[in-house]
Amino acid sequence: MRELLTAHGLTKDYPMNGETVHALRGVSLAIGAGEYVAIVGPSGCGKSTLLQLLGGIDTPSSGRVELDEIRLETLADRELTRLRLTRLGFVFQRFHLLPVLTAQENIELPMAEAGVRRAERRQRSMELLSYVGLADRAAHRATQLSGGEMQRVAIARALANRPAVILADEPTGELDVHTGQSILELFRRLVKDGTTLVVVTHDERLAAEAGRVIHMLDGQIQTPNAER
Amino acid sequence: MAGMEATVRAGWVVPLLLITAVAKAQQPVSIAIERRLAERLRVQVGDTLSIGVDAGATDRKAIVSAIYEPAPDPAAITKREYFLRLHLPDLAALLGSPDRVERFAVALKPGVSPAAAAERLNQIAFGFRASPSRDIATESSQTFRVVSRFHQAIAVISVVASGIFLLCMMLLKVEERRRDAAVMRFTGISRRTIFAALLLEAVLVSALGSVFGVALALGASLVTNLYYQRFFDTSLVFSVVTPSIVRFSVLLSLGLGLAAGAIAALRLVRTNPLILWGRG
Amino acid sequence: MSGERGQTARIGDRALSSAFGPLTAYRLPLTAVRNLLRHRIRTALAIAGITVSTAMLLDMVLLAGGIERSFGRLLLGRGFQIRISPKGTLPFDTDATIPDATRVRRIVAADTAVVAVGPLLGTSLYLRMGDSLVTLFGYGVDPTAQANYQLESGQDLAPGDSSGVLLSRPVAERLGASAGDTVTLVSRLDPEAAVAGVERRLTVRGIVHWLYDYKGQPSVGALLPVMQDLARLRAADRVSALIVKVRRDKDADATAARLRTALPMLEVNSVAALVSRFRERLVYFRQLSYILGSISLIITVLLVSVLMTITVNERLGEIATLRAIGISRRSIVRDVMAEGTILTLVGGVLGVLLGAATARYLDRILTSFPGLPAAISFFVPESQSLALAGAVLLATGILAGVYPALVAARAAIAETLRAEAT
Repeated sequence: MRELLTAHGLTKDYPMNGETVHALRGVSLAIGAGEYVAIVGPSGCGKSTLLQLLGGIDTPSSGRVELDEIRLETLADRELTRLRLTRLGFVFQRFHLLPVLTAQENIELPMAEAGVRRAERRQRSMELLSYVGLADRAAHRATQLSGGEMQRVAIARALANRPAVILADEPTGELDVHTGQSILELFRRLVKDGTTLVVVTHDERLAAEAGRVIHMLDGQIQTPNAER
Repeated sequence: MAGMEATVRAGWVVPLLLITAVAKAQQPVSIAIERRLAERLRVQVGDTLSIGVDAGATDRKAIVSAIYEPAPDPAAITKREYFLRLHLPDLAALLGSPDRVERFAVALKPGVSPAAAAERLNQIAFGFRASPSRDIATESSQTFRVVSRFHQAIAVISVVASGIFLLCMMLLKVEERRRDAAVMRFTGISRRTIFAALLLEAVLVSALGSVFGVALALGASLVTNLYYQRFFDTSLVFSVVTPSIVRFSVLLSLGLGLAAGAIAALRLVRTNPLILWGRG
Repeated sequence: MSGERGQTARIGDRALSSAFGPLTAYRLPLTAVRNLLRHRIRTALAIAGITVSTAMLLDMVLLAGGIERSFGRLLLGRGFQIRISPKGTLPFDTDATIPDATRVRRIVAADTAVVAVGPLLGTSLYLRMGDSLVTLFGYGVDPTAQANYQLESGQDLAPGDSSGVLLSRPVAERLGASAGDTVTLVSRLDPEAAVAGVERRLTVRGIVHWLYDYKGQPSVGALLPVMQDLARLRAADRVSALIVKVRRDKDADATAARLRTALPMLEVNSVAALVSRFRERLVYFRQLSYILGSISLIITVLLVSVLMTITVNERLGEIATLRAIGISRRSIVRDVMAEGTILTLVGGVLGVLLGAATARYLDRILTSFPGLPAAISFFVPESQSLALAGAVLLATGILAGVYPALVAARAAIAETLRAEAT
């Protein structure tokens, strides 16, 4: 399996209330194309920090991250932003849709930024809404959607520019069990369609679906390559 | 002083006099000139000048017997005119109008009403009109009343703008803390307590603002007076901040601040705390 | 492939662009407008504040040079570009007069640039109305070279018409007089003998509008010699001022300089110089307009920047998310500044409308100055100043959004997302 996203000796320290928090202490991993990897661990173990470093949202105190052999720390901010736009997709725990835009417009947003023409954007956004089962909610503002619907729109947004990897941070954290199940089913489809997925989660169901589970504790990986 | 000229305006008689350094042999008249003119011409008491009605015909000798500071006249400061005084017969002779004057000032016996006296005089008047001094003062201060009205209009516009600005700021300030307010409501703090707390903040901010505003106004008034007194070379006072103005301004700003704070606070406490929290 | 820094990312980008076309910024105003509508009351208040500030700014721009423009237009209205008055005075500023007017007129007319010279005398006199006397202002004119009146009805004075008189409308209405009627003008009243020293019966030729009169001013006009007689100034051939027309406007200053040399005992001013001296007298209004105009701009800046700062602070999580999903800093800054710009634009347009109304109101106040010619206005638009003020206002509103926009764009993504999660 081709290694798509790799991390080498990542550490992350940041100050908090006058002390230094060692969020990551030398984490290395490799994620192959088409893999579904779950990162689990107790609160404060560094899972979200790891995800943010893998996604280029944050910079490591030391170590490096490579996406398709592109070293993220060598990129200028503008290039990194472009990379996030075109090669990565993010799904957050709290959805973070723009409340003033409709479901369709939220999905079109990254495509517009990438320079996609209007007709193409419209078509693709409707395709993605159908994919996540929300074609009939296209014209609804984000504030008019339920939690589960918002998260599905967020997933569709993450898929807009055909990213190489989807990074999801606690995607079912704000959802009830039933709604979480619909997200799980969506993730199943994504994996089946060959999407590379990295999910940080407390949700056992999501972890159970993963091809590989990485356990973290106290800023370190406990079982780096627990294959199923 | 050769070749130097200045135009002056006679105190009682209107026509123009001119002063040059050209002197002729004549019985000199005695004149008093204002301080600014003396400085400009660089003359002192005892110096001789020549005055006349037309430029090129300044052939009457005059001795400076006094230099005086005229009472500041707001109506005259922008015109930058200079004044001198002569004895009336001297001026009349100079003008060739030996028995003509512009006006008389009449002092009445104690207890005599100026209006009644003026009316009696007007009954026999021909070629003149009598008016109580108060009426003249009212008439001649029309210009400043126009300026006052203009300032008041500007003040009203400024107050309206300030009121809007204040309300906007209060709303923003209060809305910024809506989650704090939500938590307080969740933990059982009453609407009344939250409202009172916000209102108190508004009052304190308004009070502080008023204090700074008054200080700023006093400073600006001082600077205005210093600047214009120097600019026009006058002792006129252009800006006065009176206790009643301070009282009015402070009350107005406190009132506006209180009203703005109350409106903002009321909006906040009437909103469902879940909505304030962002979950509603 | 290591060492090809950013190469793959750029290839992917080009592929994406070639597949889907060039960049568009469709969403820019849409998002900005919707974000503003999210908080309608605060947006409405901010717009209201900018409206009032803009109105004030507009009024101050109009005021800054308004009366000078108005005065200049009045002076040049009939094409006479130079004024001659007694030494050290402005025309009709005092009761001083110029002696030997005919000689002065000859000297002026001898200048090759001069096309016409008109004498003008102003004096106080009375009109008999039954048993009473009405105080009037009298103009002595030369109808072939005048810039003081416009005929409204009847006929103008003919050269040599020493029995004709022109009335202002207020006088005509008070007397109920019209062309053909007779009036008696008197002067030099003797209070002791109760008689008038000079008396003339004149026939009304026409009703005129005296250009420099204040509203309601009772004025009459007759040929210069007639008025000189009434004022007992004929012997000395005195006038209050002379007006001079030169062939080309651009020659006015040079001609005035030559006449100044030829007539050193008189005050010679081109209209431009007169306006400049007039400006000195009204320096207060100019200074006031600069100060209040600056304050208006400051208020606009404060309103927009405070509103945008608070709005951005509220949306930091949203903005961090946008950055996380690949929206560039430039787009974020553009979005935030667009909101500030829209606020300024809307407030600006409304402010212009409000400002036009308040300018009329303020002008009504100021033009009630006693003795001010009715034709003068304090608030006079000039397209260059207005355009400049508009540009400055817009630039101010745009720039006021820069700081909050930069704060928004530069916020650390991970840190912000962490803070939002707590």
